[in-house]
Amino acid sequence: MLPVLLTRKAVTFRNTLLGLRGWRLAKNLMFSGAGLVMLAALYAGFWRLLNYLEGVELIGPILSWKLTSMVLLMTFAMVVVSSIIISMTTLYYSFDLKFLFSTPLDLRSIFIDKAFETVFYSSWTLVLALLPYIAALGRIKGLDWGFYLAYAGLMVPFVLLAGAFGILFSMIVMYAFPSSRTRDITWLLGSLSVGFVYVVFRFSRPEKLLRPDSLEVVAQYIQYLQSPTAPYMPSWWVTRAMEAYSAARWEAFASNAGVLVLAAAAIYIFIYFLSGRLYMRGFSGAQGSPRFKGGRRELPEQRLAERLPALRPALTLYWKDRLALGRDARYWSQLILIGALIAVYLFSIRQLPLDTPDIRSLVSFLNVGVAGFVMAAIGLRFTFPAISLEGNSYWLLKSAPISALGVMREKLMVSLLPSLLIGLVLITVSNRLLGADFFIAALSTFTILVAALVITVMGIGFGAAFPDFNVENIHQLESSYGGFLYMACCMGYLSLLVAVEAWPVQMHFAERFGRAHPWDLRAVALSAAMFVGLNAAALYIPWKAGQRNLERHEI
Amino acid sequence: MIEIKNLTKSFGNFKAVDDLSLSVAPGEIFGFLGPNGAGKTTTVKILSGIMRPTSGSVSVAGFDVAASPLEAKRRMAYIPDEPFVYPKLTGWEFMRFIGDIYAVPAAEQKKRIPELLETFELTAASGELLEGYSHGMKQKLLIASVLLRKPKVVLFDEPTVGLDPKSIRRFKTLLADIARGGAAVFMCTHILDMAERLCHTVGIIYRGRLVTKGTVDEVKKLTAAPGVRSLEDVFLELTE
Repeated sequence: MLPVLLTRKAVTFRNTLLGLRGWRLAKNLMFSGAGLVMLAALYAGFWRLLNYLEGVELIGPILSWKLTSMVLLMTFAMVVVSSIIISMTTLYYSFDLKFLFSTPLDLRSIFIDKAFETVFYSSWTLVLALLPYIAALGRIKGLDWGFYLAYAGLMVPFVLLAGAFGILFSMIVMYAFPSSRTRDITWLLGSLSVGFVYVVFRFSRPEKLLRPDSLEVVAQYIQYLQSPTAPYMPSWWVTRAMEAYSAARWEAFASNAGVLVLAAAAIYIFIYFLSGRLYMRGFSGAQGSPRFKGGRRELPEQRLAERLPALRPALTLYWKDRLALGRDARYWSQLILIGALIAVYLFSIRQLPLDTPDIRSLVSFLNVGVAGFVMAAIGLRFTFPAISLEGNSYWLLKSAPISALGVMREKLMVSLLPSLLIGLVLITVSNRLLGADFFIAALSTFTILVAALVITVMGIGFGAAFPDFNVENIHQLESSYGGFLYMACCMGYLSLLVAVEAWPVQMHFAERFGRAHPWDLRAVALSAAMFVGLNAAALYIPWKAGQRNLERHEI
Repeated sequence: MIEIKNLTKSFGNFKAVDDLSLSVAPGEIFGFLGPNGAGKTTTVKILSGIMRPTSGSVSVAGFDVAASPLEAKRRMAYIPDEPFVYPKLTGWEFMRFIGDIYAVPAAEQKKRIPELLETFELTAASGELLEGYSHGMKQKLLIASVLLRKPKVVLFDEPTVGLDPKSIRRFKTLLADIARGGAAVFMCTHILDMAERLCHTVGIIYRGRLVTKGTVDEVKKLTAAPGVRSLEDVFLELTE
């Protein structure tokens, strides 16, 4: 039965490819082209890094393999966590599961089919992101195409093993606690683990590992490099196998690859038999909804609406969104990840090796661009999807006496305050850590508040210009064409914003360095005019385009 | 109350609705019949303002839906064939949401919502999240929300799908009550027996074109075949 199930996936994929014509084809080609550019940039970065490591006297080759083992270990950990989060949806809440369960298909076949789906969704982006690293490694080590072939072969059992951990975890947890509440808790725990690993990894200052002088004794460093990185983990087996291949030690290659393949086969045989006993109970339990008893109390927005009838539609949408977001575990897990991102960002600022107050002030100014990027990344997860997440229920708003503009304004109302707060925290704390002078601190704070407004308006505008009311989760929206365009436009806007302000900042530093008559008021006025023009355009164009599209959008 | 003039809706080269003209008066229950893919749902979506016509015009309660969409929407209620609702709201909150959006006074909501929930046997489930409601329960909640806002025009697309027999009977009574209250009812349905019993007028659409329109008796007389004929016989003959 399993081949039938797998064939349907292949046919779906083929039909999707054949259905790409006209604008859709052009859009996908542009998207793929941009992806290839990003992979090429990653390749260039990895190549420089590995080339540097390989060139270190005596320990160069050991260093690059050590880094490879760490990269693979991180990839393995990320696939495990992703598979925990994704398996909860694929194994228990996929759209087609009710249909599949109604067919005379063997329960185990359905489970294995969904398990493969889980492995695919939880690993493909990471495997893709790893490609430039492996390509750079192969080139630095001067290896032939056989190395890449061997790597591809090793990756299959590697990701299968990583995915198996998540699949097993979900199956056992859902068997023990067969309820949809378990899914929410697992999502939260998954996000907490990702956030925790991310923060701990950054706080451990991995850059120290690339600087031998940071360790007290050279012998200690060499010993560290030669010691295995998590020897019982599949990432170490893959590293050993690749290292053996590069040195033409075929026996070592075969033994490590063999262990990997046998472990993957064993764990999937185990899963196959275990699913026959555990899957049904978990699936059945997942179909119920958690008991929830809502009250009939009057909400603050409803009380306010009675006093301000003109704001009633906006306030009504606001309380609807507030209640819905508060009850959706997916948002809580996103908030955890954002908390981790901000913590790591501020820690990285603190660790910057800057000596003079001038450089620290200059970095504070340039930090506006980086903080803006962090805000755009957050906007991609919260603001951009806000309209699309109305989902199938959007017909209620479309048929109600609320204009597209009204919907967009309300979504802006929900997102704007958190955006302003995040921007303010990022910049004021960074300025304090860096010891920025008053001029730079005031300018960067004002700029980030304007940027927060623009990035949020752009998020809603792009979200309305590229809505998709049929998506199952936020990740699909983030990786959509509209999401990509939103990020690209945010990057362009932030670059121009920093460039426009560079002129007065240059005059400020000239004054600090004691130059006579540093300020040219005409240049300041021009810079201010360009600042106003840039922000007005960035506010107006995406917002209007979004409004026009949402008004015309048909369900 | 509902005026459709020369309405055409095309998707590429395909005409889903082709030069449709009809009107529904206040207090009239109009049954819009047709086989799958005939253009019923497209018509009702254009009437509700969630789809735009390629050409022609539709007006509801005296307001052109394209030119004055908000005015038209304030006076109508639409229930689609798939009752998608906000899964993270409770039944009570959903009713309040609809009441607030359609500017029903808070005091009236507090009085009417418990009554409506009781009428549709949803009181016990009103504190639970809608993600736990069955298809039929969601459909009943939507119908209750229509009654809360007392619209002048009601658009139903297959309203009885998912309802249990008791709810269907109650729905029929309510439909007649809505019409008696002066509202125009536009109902797409496949259930010819219900259309025959409930509707004052019916129209049959086939491949986007209105094949016939009139009272049930008028439509029944359209075919030349002798003997007493049901609406189903006429429907099958006209759409073959």
